[in-house]
Amino acid sequence: MAFNPLTERGIPIERQFRSWSELAYQPYDTREVHPYTRCRVILMNGIEVEAIINSHNAARRIADTGVKQMLALVRKAEQQQQKAVNWLIPGSESTIANTIGYEQVAVDLTSWIARHEPDPYLNQVYEFGVLEDYDHLYRYANLMDLMGERRKAEEITGDLTEILPGRPTIFHHRHPHDELRRPMTVEASSFQSILNALTVVSAEQQTMNFYMNAGNRPEDPMARSLYLEIAMVEEQHVSHYESILDPTTPELLNLALHEYNECWLYWSCMVTETDPRIKQVWETHLAMELEHLRLACEMMKEVDGIDPATVFPAQGIDAPMTFEPNKQYVRDVLARTVDNSASDSQFVPVDQLPAGHRFFDYQATVNAGDVPSESVIRRHREEFGGEYRFATEGSHPIASLQESGTTEGTTYAQVVERHMENA
Amino acid sequence: MMTQRNEKHDGLHRAVDKASDALGGMVGRASANTAGSTSAGAFAENAAIGDMYEIAAGKLALRHARSDRVKAAAMKMIDDHTTSTHQLRSAMLMNETKGVPPLPDSIDARRKTMLDHLEAAPADKFDVTYLDQQILAHKETVDLMTGFRDTGDNAQLRSFAAGTAPVVQRHLTHMEHLRAELG
Repeated sequence: MAFNPLTERGIPIERQFRSWSELAYQPYDTREVHPYTRCRVILMNGIEVEAIINSHNAARRIADTGVKQMLALVRKAEQQQQKAVNWLIPGSESTIANTIGYEQVAVDLTSWIARHEPDPYLNQVYEFGVLEDYDHLYRYANLMDLMGERRKAEEITGDLTEILPGRPTIFHHRHPHDELRRPMTVEASSFQSILNALTVVSAEQQTMNFYMNAGNRPEDPMARSLYLEIAMVEEQHVSHYESILDPTTPELLNLALHEYNECWLYWSCMVTETDPRIKQVWETHLAMELEHLRLACEMMKEVDGIDPATVFPAQGIDAPMTFEPNKQYVRDVLARTVDNSASDSQFVPVDQLPAGHRFFDYQATVNAGDVPSESVIRRHREEFGGEYRFATEGSHPIASLQESGTTEGTTYAQVVERHMENA
Repeated sequence: MMTQRNEKHDGLHRAVDKASDALGGMVGRASANTAGSTSAGAFAENAAIGDMYEIAAGKLALRHARSDRVKAAAMKMIDDHTTSTHQLRSAMLMNETKGVPPLPDSIDARRKTMLDHLEAAPADKFDVTYLDQQILAHKETVDLMTGFRDTGDNAQLRSFAAGTAPVVQRHLTHMEHLRAELG
């Protein structure tokens, strides 16, 4: 199966604008929707939000009136697409239930991307991040019970994604310099690497935005503080992933790459969607994106003299991004890398960080006093007699996390404790 | 009062060491401007050794420098060149640098000699010796980074050089200011 967006015809831009009623699709039924349909809706909302923000940022830096007009025109269509997609999420889906969906996206999207990333360093970048989102899913699933939601997290995720401790959230908090990775270059990297990075940056950015804005909606102080803590990790994740993008990409090439990525992802959604009604949304939006890509390429060629044929693969793209279970893969990444931390752009086991590394000072500062991601598990144990977990593949691959998701007995806890004693 | 270290190291030796460092610096700049500006292997080797030298010299300065401002500059050199080392090592893990020879794991004779001279500098001359070396070393690194950024034969390492060049240019400017202040 191959797809080449440069050889397909889309909907002319002047025919893309829709009425309010056309945009307001019937939302999905939160109890009936396939978990991966929800994931696709969440992902494509993030992709559209990134397209819009990227276009706004470009418009602020470009003086050429003609380019500004093209950006404004396409951006308005992207805004309509974003509304059509995000309004598929029903009001009956609570913020915490939607949050579980966001974290399922993070786990199964990033796992797929990591498995399809041809570059060994960039693969490390994705594997490092996925274990953190995996842990967020578990902490939020415990919070969901405490908030009195009438269903369990696995009713959101189905049996497609296990819900277990990952790299414990308390240890995600690192000095900001240790979130900056080595950028790829558009010139020499694999084209798939570029699409992978644009996709994950978009998804993580919308998660960051979601928690920044929705994290203060609960009344329960436990919930508010857990959202606050994890929102700060999402800031790290956006820094982590955006730093692998090529910072020297010319503005219009960057725009064209974004449009190409949208084509790839709408096509991916279209060919993997099981809900025929929502599949139609993906199909319509793909036809719109083909036109956005054509306009971006035309402008890039005219203004910057960059021929799209020198940038995009002649044969198109082979594989759709697919939401599918990654249970064994995540377990394998856990077994290999749960104790990893970061020092600048490198990933190193936490017990190999030199004494006095800035990680320890940062940890001591932000984790002074109560740590919500630990408290949520303790409170769940107190109120329900145990932790919430959902495992289908046997016991946890890390011995110290088999019984307890709080951090006693983990290598991380031992290293941090030793540092505190020596400080 | 002269220390024992000072006595061992009289003015003549200091003059010879300074001349030798300057000569080494010229050799380094010539090398940075030739092979280091185009060949990925030569560039990566030179960049890695430059970082090793900076970190080792910075550690010596933390121990021996008298001026707090020189010590602060040395700390900054250790931090920034550690970051640069990590970035370079990460670049070398990427497919984009396939075929580039592995990074060296030890310093070369020229930089070792500079460190020996720094170690042997008398206590009252340590700060100026460190700053003189820093100016020489950073002129070489600026040449290396800007040269490879503009004409290097590997895209990933050109990207690394482009990201590092402004940092080392700021280092050079700072070291020149500090040296002017010390007189």
